[in-house]
Parts: sequence; C-alpha cells; structure tokens
Amino acid sequence: MKRENNFSSCSSSSSKPNNKMWTSSPDGEVVDDVDELFAVLGYNLKSSDMADVAQKIQQLEQVMGSVQQNADVSHLASETVHYNPSDLSSWLDTMISGLNPDFTPALDPIPKTSVIDFGSDLTAIPGEAIYPPTKKPRTSPYLSLPSEQVGNPTRPVVLVDSQENGIRLVHTLMACAEAVQQENFTLAEALVKNVGFLAVSQAGAMRKVATYFAEALARRIYRLYPTSNKQDTAFSDLLQMHFYETCPYLKFAHFTANQAILEAFEGKSKVHVIDFGMNQGIQWPALLQALALRPGGPPVFRLTGIGPPSHDNTDHLQEIGWKLAQIAESINVEFEYKGFVANSLADLESSMFDLREGETVAINSIFEFHQLLARVGAIEKVLGLVKDLKPEILTVVEQEANHNGSSFLDRFTESLHYYSTLFDSLESGGEGVVSDEDKVMSEVYLGQQICNVVACDGVDRIERHESLDKWRIRFGEAGFEPVHLGSNAYKQASMLLALFAGGDGYRVEENNGCLMLGWHTRPLIATSAWKLS
Amino acid sequence: MAGGNEVNANESKRVVPLNTWILISNFKLAYNMLRRPDGTFNRDLNEFLDRKVPANANPVDGVYSFDVLDRATSLINRVYLSSTENETQWGISELEKPLSTTEIVPVIVFFHGGSFVHSSANSAIYDTFCRRLVNTCKAAVVSVNYRRSPEHRYPCAYDDGWAALKWVKSISWLKSGKDVSKVHVYLAGDSSGGNIAHHVAVRAAEEGVEVLGNILLHPLFGGEERTESEKKLDGKYFVKIQDRDWYWRAYLPEGEDRDHPACNVFGSRSKSIEGLVYFPKSLVVVAGLDLLQDWQLGYVEGLKKSGHEVKLLYLEKATIGFYFLPNNDHFHCLMDEMKRFIHSSNCEYATT
Repeated sequence: MKRENNFSSCSSSSSKPNNKMWTSSPDGEVVDDVDELFAVLGYNLKSSDMADVAQKIQQLEQVMGSVQQNADVSHLASETVHYNPSDLSSWLDTMISGLNPDFTPALDPIPKTSVIDFGSDLTAIPGEAIYPPTKKPRTSPYLSLPSEQVGNPTRPVVLVDSQENGIRLVHTLMACAEAVQQENFTLAEALVKNVGFLAVSQAGAMRKVATYFAEALARRIYRLYPTSNKQDTAFSDLLQMHFYETCPYLKFAHFTANQAILEAFEGKSKVHVIDFGMNQGIQWPALLQALALRPGGPPVFRLTGIGPPSHDNTDHLQEIGWKLAQIAESINVEFEYKGFVANSLADLESSMFDLREGETVAINSIFEFHQLLARVGAIEKVLGLVKDLKPEILTVVEQEANHNGSSFLDRFTESLHYYSTLFDSLESGGEGVVSDEDKVMSEVYLGQQICNVVACDGVDRIERHESLDKWRIRFGEAGFEPVHLGSNAYKQASMLLALFAGGDGYRVEENNGCLMLGWHTRPLIATSAWKLS
Repeated sequence: MAGGNEVNANESKRVVPLNTWILISNFKLAYNMLRRPDGTFNRDLNEFLDRKVPANANPVDGVYSFDVLDRATSLINRVYLSSTENETQWGISELEKPLSTTEIVPVIVFFHGGSFVHSSANSAIYDTFCRRLVNTCKAAVVSVNYRRSPEHRYPCAYDDGWAALKWVKSISWLKSGKDVSKVHVYLAGDSSGGNIAHHVAVRAAEEGVEVLGNILLHPLFGGEERTESEKKLDGKYFVKIQDRDWYWRAYLPEGEDRDHPACNVFGSRSKSIEGLVYFPKSLVVVAGLDLLQDWQLGYVEGLKKSGHEVKLLYLEKATIGFYFLPNNDHFHCLMDEMKRFIHSSNCEYATT
C-alpha cells in the first residue's frame, strides 16, 4: 500500500530558482502562489508577499527595540494573544501593534493620561499613522495547506517500546484485513483465529486493541454485524461519561469549544447555544459558570439540546435540561431550555428552532458531523441548516483521522494506528487516579467505534472520521471561514492537561488557527471554529 | 552590540536569500519574546509558535517516518527511512528485517538544534531537514527528541542522547551489511545538537560503543572569554552574545559559568580526550558569519591536538541556519561533504 507522492515538494538535490507552488481550489481557480519552501516548514507565505513580510519583520524589530525596560518584550508578548503563527504576515501585524507601547490598552503599565517623554531618539518610532491597522487575519482555507497534502493524507504512526513483539500481531491483522478486502474469506478466517493466539501473548494496550480489531474483523467475515449503537442511548451516554473521566479528550473538546463560544459571546446580552449532541450536557455547566463570572455579568442564556430518541420511557433530554436549569439558577444566570429529539441532524429544519431577535447564536457539534457522512446529502443539508440559523460561531470537534476512505484496507490500517495510539494513552494515564471500571468502560466506548469502522458499511457505518484538512475544505466550500483559536486558549488547554490529564504525553498543538490534542506526536482530536463568510 | 539594528538588518539581508532571511529573522524575533530577563522561559508560547508535523508512514519524496516512544522515559525518537530502499507494506515499516543484507546503510542519529531550549524532533524545520538527509546521504536517520532546558538542565540532553544511541545500536531492523552484524552509526547535530553529539561521542568512546563519525553543524561551544569573532560579529547576523549567554545560563547547572566542561570542551576544566582511541572522526562545519566560529575553530584545533581525525568545512559566507532551505550553495556543499564523510568509511569497513 505504498503511495508515492508524485507532486514534488522540495527536492533535496536541485536548487529551484522558482519555488512557487500554485494551489488550486476545487473549482480549478488558481489561488495564490504559496512559497513551497515555506509551506513544508509550516508557514503560509505567498512569494508575492515576501518583500512586504520582510519589511514587517524590520518594523517589528524596531518596535521591540523601542520597548521600555520595565515593560519588557517577553511580558508584552505573553499578554498579547497570538493567532495562527503559520500566517506570518498577520502574526507580524498583531505583534507590531501588540508590542507597540502606545497600543496595549489591556495591560497598561503607563497611565493613558500622562505624557511620557521617550527621548528624542524614540520620537522616530512610527506610531499608528505609519503602521497600517492590523489586517483581518487571512481566513481563506485554501491558503492553509499545499493541495497535495489533502490528496495524500499523512499516516502518523507512533510505536510504543519498539513493539517488536507486537509487529507480528499487527502484520497478521493487516494480512487478515487484506484477505477480507480481496474477499478471500477462508484465508481471512484462518488469520483472524491466529490473531487471537498472538494477542494473548501481548500485554496492555496492544492486546486490547488487537482483540477489538479481531472481533470486528470476525463480525465482518461472518456477517454478524453489530446492532446499531444508537439503539441504547443510555448505555452510550454511560460509556461516554466514563471516557470523559478517564482521559482528557472530551474535557479538551468542551474546554476549547467553550472558550471560542465565550469569546464570540463577548458583549452580547442575549445568547442561544444549540448543541447538536446533547448527551449528558456536561459541556455546559462550565460555560454557564464562565458567563456568570464575566465582567458585566451573564447574558440571558438559552440552550437547545438535540439528541436521539430514548428507548426507555424517560425523557432524557428534558431531565438534563432541568439539571442545567438548577445549576443556572444557583449562579444567577437567566436560563431557558428546549430539548429536540431527532434520529439524525439531517431531519431538522430551521423552522423548528425559535430564532429570536437580538439573540447571538452559537452552534456546537462534538463528534457529530462525521456521522452525517453516512448518508448522501446529509452533511450538505445540515450545513445549510447551520447557515439558516445564522450563528455567530460554529464550534466543531472531530477525531483527527481519516477513517472514511473508499478502500477497506486503508480504513483498517488508519484506524488500527489511531486506536492503538488512543489505547496507549489510556494505558499511561491515571494510575491510581482513574478507576479500573472507568478504564474498561472507556475501552468499550472506543471498541464500539472500532467495530463500526471495521465491521459496518453503508448507512450503518457512522464513524466516518475525516481529518481537519478535509473538514476545512468542506466548511470553506459551504461558505464558512475560520475563527482562529489563539495562544490564550492554547495556554489554558495546556494548563488543563497538566491538572487533569493524569498521565504524561498529552500535547496541545496549534494548527493553522485550530487546536489539536494528541498523545506525544500524534494529534487525535481537533477543535475548530467557524463563522459565515 | 556591533552596528545598529537597521544596519545589521541590511547587512544580513545581503548575504542570504530573502526567504532564508525571513525565516531566520522570524525565529530570532519570536525567540526574543520568549526569553525572560530573569532566566525563565515562556514554554507554552514557544510550543504554540513552533510549527510541528506528525510522522508519516506514507512515503513522501521517497522518505517515510514513524515515531518510537520509550514508555519508561517518555522519550520519542523519530525514525526516517528510504521507501525506495525499504519497501513499506500497509504503511508501516517491515520491522522484522534489517535495513540491508547486501550493503551498509548508515544510520545518522541526529540531535536537532535550538540552543538546548527551542525546537523538537517533530518541528517542521527539523523534520524537513532529516528527510533531506535520508535522500542525500542515503542513510536512515533517527532524530532524538531530547529533554530541553530550562526545565531540564545539563546533563539531561546528554543522558537522553546516550540513551538514544544505545537504543539505536540495539535495534535489529537498523542493522545492515553483508553479515548484518551491527548498526552503522554516525552522530550529527546542529547548534546545541552538535554539542550533544560531541559529548555523546565522548561517552561512547569511554564505554566502548562504536560510533563511526561525528558531524557537527555550527555546534554550540563557548566560554567565559569573549573571542574576536564574538566581539566582531555580535548582533550582525541574527545572533547576539547576550542571547548565547542566556541559553548557557538556562542549560548549565545553576551558578555555573561558561567554562563548565559542557560548554568549553577544551578548556581547563575539561577532561582530556587524548587517550580516547575510539573517539570517532569528525566533520565540523563552521559558518563564516557565525559569531561562535572562534570557539568552533578552537574545537577543531583541540581535536587535532588530542590526536583525533577532523575535517573542517569552513563556509565563509554562510550564516547560521543556512541549511534550513536548499536555496543556496552552502546547503549543497554541506550535503556533498556529509555524503562523502559518511560513505568514505563504508568503503573501508566493507572490505573487512
């Protein structure tokens, strides 16, 4: 399955005089000449902008040189919020205006009213008149990555402890998957039995992952398809709660999405959050609290929670609503709630939502969008719905993986690596802090996803994860532009990890305005935020 | 500081291509914002700004990579292999076979730069560089994600480097040659990575672990004395002495000065390496516009005086970081030299 990248990025043996790379948008227009050499180093820089960027660098150096001793550069730099360092031009703009001593209203060590004599040398430092106002950050998704990277997704692999013993196991799993792809079920059957033997000799995460994948393969071979996860929502919610307790992924998702929503709600007095996957509503108490504590007081808060129908007789969505109402009341936030039952987000129409004048809307979707890819037209319908609801912000968290390729073997391989890394992270986390029960339930939660990716197809296969790069294109085409998450969110997310991660190895990474949480070097989930163009 | 800011900007712009100037100046300014005068460091902002890339088991330009984590130490090594030489199946490497049973495939253990503080093995600049090394040097590369200061001071980086070397030596799928008897290791590093390579090589020689060669790319050495080059070039080509001092203060044990043996390797406080028979041959690359060149040239002299083989590649018009972009002659010159240095010894060993 080796895939050669035919689009030469940077060849090491020849020096190219012209290092431009033209990226084209899906409708064939050529969009800007991103410098290829910079692109592989992680920066979006147009060749045509280089002279301009060079000038900004010089300006920034001047500004940094002029900063007063007691307001040292590092202090100012950490007070300024940084966004999307890949967009060099905008980052420089932000720094130039952020570090200019005349332009730090937030942390003002120098009282505004006094006249300060910086000395005759410093009168030469240009002020606002000469530095142009900060340009709007570039938000075109097409500029954010070279096109060939989308065509050929990366396969990040993290092996733990060399895993030399595990290699045979992995190879057998892969051989089995290949046999399934080729519909050689006799061979596949023999191999899947072999996996069972090999798995037993493994320890820890490898054994568990192999067992889940083997089971999923067996189901596919014997056509014993698993029943839909959607049927037992109470059990699913329970599993998710345990997953929430065991590892930081969901906490990170909630935290970063809330941060973006909080910022979007700044200065707004009436807000409406629409949660596309209400589950147990554990994301919302923290947001309510943050809104209660914000300067100027909380807004009037309305929450619409969407969830699948429950199969017992409880009105699960309403119960959650009541609990949140109690919390809101205890912190003096005016709160209103409505629960919507829907089998699929694609069944919703904007007319169902009570949109009110003067209300700022935020739409939140955590691990929901990928499910829509199982049905033709569903994602487009829902994005259309989102646009009709005119949100100030759309927050999206998705698994950072490509589990929706057309080739079964590809999906199998990708998911094997992804879930291996996830299981490894669970294994390392929280000795003594996390209960064994929580861990086991988390594994079952992930095991259900594995089963769905490997054993199911068609509309039943709902775990159709796609990487952020693909989502960026989708959202861009649908008429959304990114809202960048900044260094403040990053820093707080890192602190959150230090406090709650219960294990070494979790890392937050900034990626073109989005934040990703991963284990060591492998990003596993990504939070992005969007608004209408 | 020699010259005003503007003079230095124009000066450095004359000697490097514009995109290199932008890249290095950008790092310079960002790093200025991260170092605090009290010696502490804004680690979060550093990681936020650093452009990172995941490993990629799908070959790109004939190179694929994967990360190996040692759970006991939480250290990651990123392994880069040639996909033309080593067929990958299903996007994961064939880790049950050696690199080659017909010829020697050198393994370069690479220590990234960043003055002991910045960058990681998965930083885009170093990931890109290591990929280029695989193709030009026809080698496997293992990039070590050593612990950094100020959180982890001396000797952490050296300990991690040593652990990585031992790990590499123990790996069956990194072996090569007609008798597949061993892993053919070279140590390499730029800036602080060069410094680490030296110290790991010393330890390897002391403990009888074979290293075939050291490649030091404008390595970080220094001392209390202010050399001529430091005075003359202070601030002229992206680097100020003041920054260098900060990084040493962040790396060396508290209270130590720059004559500490980690920094001033041929100074009076350092143990002689004259008796170390198994210390490898070295290729030392010095950039003519690097203010540390006097220390680096002194290092070359020191090696010679200690009876060790060393080749100096002096690139008169090069600044630090010239190898990040393949858009200049120095880059190609470096690649050619490295290739020659690595493969010349293979000819010798292949006959035994």
